Amino acid sequence: MNAPAGLDFASIPERIQSEVQRAIQRSIKGVEYFSTSGPSLGSTPKDVLHSRGTMSLYHYRPMSDEIYRVPVLIVMATTNRGYILDLVPGQSFIEFLLKRGYDVYMLDWSAPRPEEKSLRMEDYVLDFIPDCIRRVQADSGEQDVSVIGYCFGGVLSLLYGSIHKDGPMKNLICFTTPIDFREMKLFSNFSDRRYFDVDHLVDSVGNVPPEMILSSFEMLRPASRTVSQIQLWENIWNDEFVKSYRMFDRWATDTLPLAGEYFRAITKDLMWDNKLFNDTMSVGGRAARLEDIKVPILHAVAEHDHIVPYDAAKHLIAKIGSADKEEVMLKGGHVSLVAGANAVKRLWPKLDSWLGKRST
Amino acid sequence: MTDKTNDPVAMWQKMMGEMEKGFNSFANQAMSSPEFSQAMNRAGGVAAGAQKQLGDLMEKYLVTMNLPSREQVTGLAERLQAIEGQIGEIKLMLSQIAASAGVAQGTDSALRPPRTKRPPSENGGQT
Repeated sequence: MNAPAGLDFASIPERIQSEVQRAIQRSIKGVEYFSTSGPSLGSTPKDVLHSRGTMSLYHYRPMSDEIYRVPVLIVMATTNRGYILDLVPGQSFIEFLLKRGYDVYMLDWSAPRPEEKSLRMEDYVLDFIPDCIRRVQADSGEQDVSVIGYCFGGVLSLLYGSIHKDGPMKNLICFTTPIDFREMKLFSNFSDRRYFDVDHLVDSVGNVPPEMILSSFEMLRPASRTVSQIQLWENIWNDEFVKSYRMFDRWATDTLPLAGEYFRAITKDLMWDNKLFNDTMSVGGRAARLEDIKVPILHAVAEHDHIVPYDAAKHLIAKIGSADKEEVMLKGGHVSLVAGANAVKRLWPKLDSWLGKRST
Repeated sequence: MTDKTNDPVAMWQKMMGEMEKGFNSFANQAMSSPEFSQAMNRAGGVAAGAQKQLGDLMEKYLVTMNLPSREQVTGLAERLQAIEGQIGEIKLMLSQIAASAGVAQGTDSALRPPRTKRPPSENGGQT
């Protein structure tokens, strides 16, 4: 009898031995997994410049002998914590920027307190971001500031930039930023105005609980959590895999609640009326039109983004009023675009080459 | 080296990947229907209502037990936050005073690198 094509009988004992060793390692490492706490995240040295309720402004300590003139303010998405951009040394976007000579600040969020349920979109766009910009200017001694917004941090940065058209934002970089909310098909269906009573929800719970935010993200790929746990077990002998799994899993499940009034505005203005895309958006009575943004802009989108599909993000560059504008589509998903091994070799160098020449 | 097509581990991994994709795609299709939205939001509405009632009940219970209410704890948190804010402002002022007096500090702007960096292309390729 002939062996099936491609099957190498000589390698079978070796393969069995390797699998037995892995099975033993799984048992040992499995115990280790549950008895240890995982890598420490967000540990790049920083100072808290300012903290007010849900908002914190950090300044990271420079890591190069000379820095670019223009400081960079990162605006994090309000649903998640900023340490996704500062995982561990070697896989930290912040560390990368510091070593490439940028002066880096981050506007990060903590869970809004119950009394902060009344925070509105105005508070984020017309108070928190401008306040941080002023503090970055004072701390750095520079008038110009480049802004990087991740996901909904990008939406907030766009709203800020379109209202404050006379500066001081010098450059704008958006990562996976949606503007056409109709194209976020599942979120759009979950919040269908015929069935989703946002007023009842916000009036009942105050701040929207993080479990609700997390479950709506997980519903986009309902099988993925189970499969990732199976993959963890298969690869638990592999320290690098486990480290990476723990970093991303911890971050993904560390979702923040959303301030009630802010969530109400997102639902009504963006999810229901798609105002940013339709050029009818206003914040605190001030028109926020994308065509009013004239600063250089880079929009990085991910090819396999299941949270912000390309259709929801693709019109941004066309609608922006800047002459100097670029969209770059990179391999990866919503998170792997900005963090992890994929980002180290794709997005980060691209961002550096784009921003460096606009930061002097 | 074993051919991937006959490697049971690789086959298992491929099968898992396919199953994940298939299930996600099937579920996404099901979740795109208005019926799903209606059912989900009906359940969500009931849960939100129940959560509010439970919250109100807990508040009454705490008052009966002579325990601090959420409002009182929040009040304390607010005062603590105000103190934290003031400490931050004082720290910043001290840093600025120290910087203007030329006193070296750990993170103070007097010790910050000069803002003279040029992009690599202008430096002949150096970073």
